[in-house]
Amino acid sequence: MDQSRRNFCRGIGAATVGAATLAATPGEAAAGPRKGGDAAHRWAMVVDVRKCVGCQACTVACIMENDVPENSFRTIVSTYEVTEQGKTGSYMLPRLCNHCEDAPCIPVCPTGATYQRKDGIVVVDNTVCVGCAYCVQACPYDARFINHETQTADKCTFCVHRVDAGLLPACVETCVGGARIFGDLKDPDSTVSRLVREQDPKVLKPEQGTQPRVFYIGLDPKFQGKVDGTPTLWRPSAQPHVEAHVEKEHA
Amino acid sequence: MDTNIVEIINVTREVAWLPWAVQYFFLIGLSVGGVLLSLPGYAFANDEWRKLGRVGLLVALTCGLAAPVALLSDLHQPGRFWHFYAVFRPTSWMWWGSLIIPFYVTGLLVYAWTCFREELQEHGRVDSHLATLYRLAALGGGRDDRLIRYAGLVVLAGAVLVALYTGAEVAVVKARPLWHTPFLPVQFLTTALVGAAGLVLILNRFAADHDLAVEARANRLLAGFLGAVMAVGGLWLAFGLFGIDRTHTEALEGVANSEAWRVTAVWAVLATVAPFVIAVAKPVGTGLLTGLIAVHSAWMFRWTVFIGGQTVPKTGAGFYEYALPAGPDGLLGIIGTAGLWLFLLLVITAVLPTPARSAPRPVRAAHAADRTMAAAE
Repeated sequence: MDQSRRNFCRGIGAATVGAATLAATPGEAAAGPRKGGDAAHRWAMVVDVRKCVGCQACTVACIMENDVPENSFRTIVSTYEVTEQGKTGSYMLPRLCNHCEDAPCIPVCPTGATYQRKDGIVVVDNTVCVGCAYCVQACPYDARFINHETQTADKCTFCVHRVDAGLLPACVETCVGGARIFGDLKDPDSTVSRLVREQDPKVLKPEQGTQPRVFYIGLDPKFQGKVDGTPTLWRPSAQPHVEAHVEKEHA
Repeated sequence: MDTNIVEIINVTREVAWLPWAVQYFFLIGLSVGGVLLSLPGYAFANDEWRKLGRVGLLVALTCGLAAPVALLSDLHQPGRFWHFYAVFRPTSWMWWGSLIIPFYVTGLLVYAWTCFREELQEHGRVDSHLATLYRLAALGGGRDDRLIRYAGLVVLAGAVLVALYTGAEVAVVKARPLWHTPFLPVQFLTTALVGAAGLVLILNRFAADHDLAVEARANRLLAGFLGAVMAVGGLWLAFGLFGIDRTHTEALEGVANSEAWRVTAVWAVLATVAPFVIAVAKPVGTGLLTGLIAVHSAWMFRWTVFIGGQTVPKTGAGFYEYALPAGPDGLLGIIGTAGLWLFLLLVITAVLPTPARSAPRPVRAAHAADRTMAAAE
């Protein structure tokens, strides 16, 4: 069992009422009242990109756990080939919903289907969602999509059903490198609280003012926003072609 | 430091606002433009504008009735539309839109009825089987300028609200720099006016009596609207090019290196400048050409904003690929909406054919008719 899992279980057992590491509700007024969940917790994730090996086990675990339809992803490890000063290496960046403190997807929702629980998890009630996709547009992280089986908005929920049962999100459970650490920011002794305090992790697109609650350790500024690079060479249905090969050679 | 990044694995997000949304914003924009063009002739009883106003009213009605269908189709769960009305969500412009649209469409129908009441009364006087129906539809009255003005002011309020909400709904999306600009609502409105004037020019030819005075006036209006489009577009470009505002710079940088976007930009400029020059140089006899280009230009602006805008990844490199599907979420939706609009036009013009003597100034109309004859010869 990895360190993050142990911390998580300890946090649950303690039912902590410790001081919040970070402000809990600045976006509440705009986003509407929070409902459901336990206000004693503020769930968050720290991703240590230095430990990610890009195996995509989290991607697969998420799909299996949440019955994510084909060609859709609630999380994925964006993988880049980076060449600097003649040296080439890989860079992995796990992406998922950032469960922002001031989530821009919530105020735009015209039916209230998207809301934030008291524990900070942003969820979609797919019995209420009309599939207008306004939230898909509003999310700065491309974390949302239309699920064509339910025809409603879909996204990572931090595996809320597992968290409520005292389990870790599937991606954290499966992460072989221990790159994903999940826990409670309101528990000052949790691993995530300690990492946020001590490691000065970064968030994606801080200029958007969304206050993400997915933090990254070792995040290269070049990947903090929209990545300036050659787009993905992989195409699901295309045959390998010369142009792609040339581009890769050039890189 | 010289860094080269190649994206090996990432997710491709498909467009979530479909061509239905393009159709909706196009049609509702043209409807608003049609209302605005009809107001001087009807609500403000300026007889010189009456004939143009009637064509404008046709534009407003046909587009205004077809638009909500396209919007409903853009929902992935259209059967749940009533969910909008079961909650109070003032933070969402889309929620406000769900209130504004019925207000606008109802206002438009009432306004159109007050405008057409005179014609309904006329048809009611003709010895035909349908006369009773026309008399019923006229509710025993005829032209009532005061009533038209009141209804006109109500629909004007609705039109302003539609223009406001459709623009704001998209402009508030901070996640998309291309959309997140205060210029966008103004661009939607000016291009909507361009499209409406263009459709007036087309319908003046095919669904009215091809009045040359209407054509000249509509072409001059079109030139003015196109001038406004160029001015606002130039301002947007200046904000991006000279780094006046970071979001605009980001928006421009996001697409400037794409050949497809550069071609689109050149195309858009040509589709604005060409009808402007033609409309200014020769306002009579060119209406069909300028009208078609103008309608195309208004539609293309929305296509570029919505579909093009959604192909710009928020985090990934390059662009998402988009291929127009053949089915309801693509080509069929576009054709279907156009078909619905045509059906509405046929029904309305069948029930209310262009009045033979609707010109308020017979002398001028006679001149126009003479000119038409001369042109035909």
